[in-house]
Amino acid sequence: MLSVSLSKKNPRSYELKPEEGVRLTEGLFEENYNTSAVQTTKARMPFAVAGFLAIYLLIAVRVFMVCLPGGIKISLPTDDFSEREIDVNAPISRADIVDRNGLMIATSLPTVNLYANPKKIQNPKDAAEKLAKIFPEIGYDNLYAKLTKERCSFSMIKHDLSPAKQAQVNALGIPALEFQESEKRVYLHNNLFAHVLGYTNVDNVGQAGIEKFMGDRLTKSAEPLKLTLDMGVQDTVHEELSKAMEKFQAVGAAAILMDVNTGEVISMVSLPDFNPNVEIPVGQKALFNFPTLGTYEPGSVFKTFNTALGLESGKVKVSDKFDATKPIVVQKRKISDFHGENRWLTVGEILIHSSNIGSVQLVSRVGREDQRKFLENLGFFERIKGLEISDSEKARPQFQSKKNWTDITMATVSYGHGISVTPMHVITAFSALMNGGIYHEPTLIKSDERRLSRRVLSERTSEQMRPLLRDVVLYGSGKKAEVPGYEVAGKTGTAEKAVKGGYAKKRVTNSFLSAFPASNPKYALLVVIDEPKGIKETWNFITSGWNAAPTAGKIIAAVAPQLGLKANFDIETQRAHVKAVQ
Amino acid sequence: MVSTKTALSALWLTLTCFVIFGCFILKNQVHDLERELSRINQNIAQDVKNIHVLKAEWGRLNTPERLRKLAMEHGSLNKIRAEQIINYSALPFENESSSIAVAKNGSKEYKKLVKQER
Repeated sequence: MLSVSLSKKNPRSYELKPEEGVRLTEGLFEENYNTSAVQTTKARMPFAVAGFLAIYLLIAVRVFMVCLPGGIKISLPTDDFSEREIDVNAPISRADIVDRNGLMIATSLPTVNLYANPKKIQNPKDAAEKLAKIFPEIGYDNLYAKLTKERCSFSMIKHDLSPAKQAQVNALGIPALEFQESEKRVYLHNNLFAHVLGYTNVDNVGQAGIEKFMGDRLTKSAEPLKLTLDMGVQDTVHEELSKAMEKFQAVGAAAILMDVNTGEVISMVSLPDFNPNVEIPVGQKALFNFPTLGTYEPGSVFKTFNTALGLESGKVKVSDKFDATKPIVVQKRKISDFHGENRWLTVGEILIHSSNIGSVQLVSRVGREDQRKFLENLGFFERIKGLEISDSEKARPQFQSKKNWTDITMATVSYGHGISVTPMHVITAFSALMNGGIYHEPTLIKSDERRLSRRVLSERTSEQMRPLLRDVVLYGSGKKAEVPGYEVAGKTGTAEKAVKGGYAKKRVTNSFLSAFPASNPKYALLVVIDEPKGIKETWNFITSGWNAAPTAGKIIAAVAPQLGLKANFDIETQRAHVKAVQ
Repeated sequence: MVSTKTALSALWLTLTCFVIFGCFILKNQVHDLERELSRINQNIAQDVKNIHVLKAEWGRLNTPERLRKLAMEHGSLNKIRAEQIINYSALPFENESSSIAVAKNGSKEYKKLVKQER
């Protein structure tokens, strides 16, 4: 209808005119033109609306996302605010360890490690010289070697820098030296809990003790791990035991204090010990935890279990008498007493005078089969169970097999020879004897969960045992363990050390096994002194009654008030004491 | 007709601009708040760390060994002995001066009075 013609004079100008033969008035042309524009606009409208809708939808979604809590991720500048999650409740990655009263005994402190990027270092000689002044213990040569490591962008210089050292390194202004955030495990009481807690390596991974066994728990939960140990009691036991070890020039000593009604270990000390905050004395005796690793022939303390066996079997009564007039021969082996009474002895007197002959006579009535079963039931034939340390730190007892458990084995075991167990075995079984006959697996972790326990002897036997052991302290070899008011009941044990082809005469391992107060035992204490020497004060005697028993007495006198036990004094004795003080 | 459409388009455009601007402001504010939160959390974490170090320090200062040494040096305090813990009834009261306290310890009269008190 319309044709476009270009002007010849000016090619850029053109003229719009109707085609030939078509007559159009100006108005008609205009009307047709407008109708066409409206149609085009109408056709385009939906696209425009759709476009706007899309934009609004996008905005709505965006606004919705922004308004949602946490629904938007905003990247912050990484220089000062890192995007890592900050747990304000757990400042350290390895949880604290606290004692039964919530007092901190092990924690981790934030420190920094210093490392170098050898690729970035410009003047390693100068840097090594400067660093050697700050860390003379590493030495220039070592530092230079670390700074010039080839094809390496990370070279550790030193772990756990103090803030002062960090400031000194910062002041050097060497860009290749960088810091790495780290943690250092710190044991607040140095040696005090060394064997219980164990220690960690430079990467904060537990290597022994609770640190190793409870490693997962310590790293997965920020909640402090509560032990059954009491810091004050542990300190007292450690102090008294250290004094005893020094006084009797012993090569080692150990003590365990246990709550007889729960199996909770209140204190566990092994000497010599070590300071886990400094270098660990790998391969030395100090690392050896005697209470759980040291198997030894317990000697006469085992007569306690022998007596309980007799009473429990029903074949022996407390009033029964046994012939101890002369040594007894079993399978051609003569068994005699250390201080022979050479008379008939009651069950109580066998314990008071620690008679080997009497013990053998007593067990002979019961028989070896029942003896084995009884000892097995008390846990003497397997590694100690329940205690929260790894199996490698718990020794397996040594004893004769069932086939080789002959009459002579039965006889020697009755007075604590021919079987080797750990102090932890002895005190756990003894707790059962004292608490009414329930065997509780020992534990180091304070927990409300019910623990495994089983009845191993009757309540009656337990009640009968208490006064018998009380008499040992009142009239027998344990006199020096007596603490007025606390009714100590116990049994001494002096075991000659087994050497090649027999026993060493002057090398003994002494034990004193006790419970207090005897009328209602709450705690059991085992003190072991390894190879004590005779001194002037003991008239050169090396038996348990002269060293282990008085040490136990001192420990009980000091810890009983700490444990909240009220002394059971006679009122007259108390008044006499008050008067004396006034 | 044209002017109405233009006005409507302008209105839509303005509204869109407002929403975009509002959205930007909101985002900015959220951004600032996130920064603030991060900063506060960082400070709290640092404070908790410092408190933790102080707790460790406090634990170290309270080691029984140190306390014992200080008690001996400054307070002449010794460990409590078992016999120091007695029953309340064992304490001599003022009104007892004429009876038990006066009675000779271990005498018949003393024992009688003690028995009566029980």
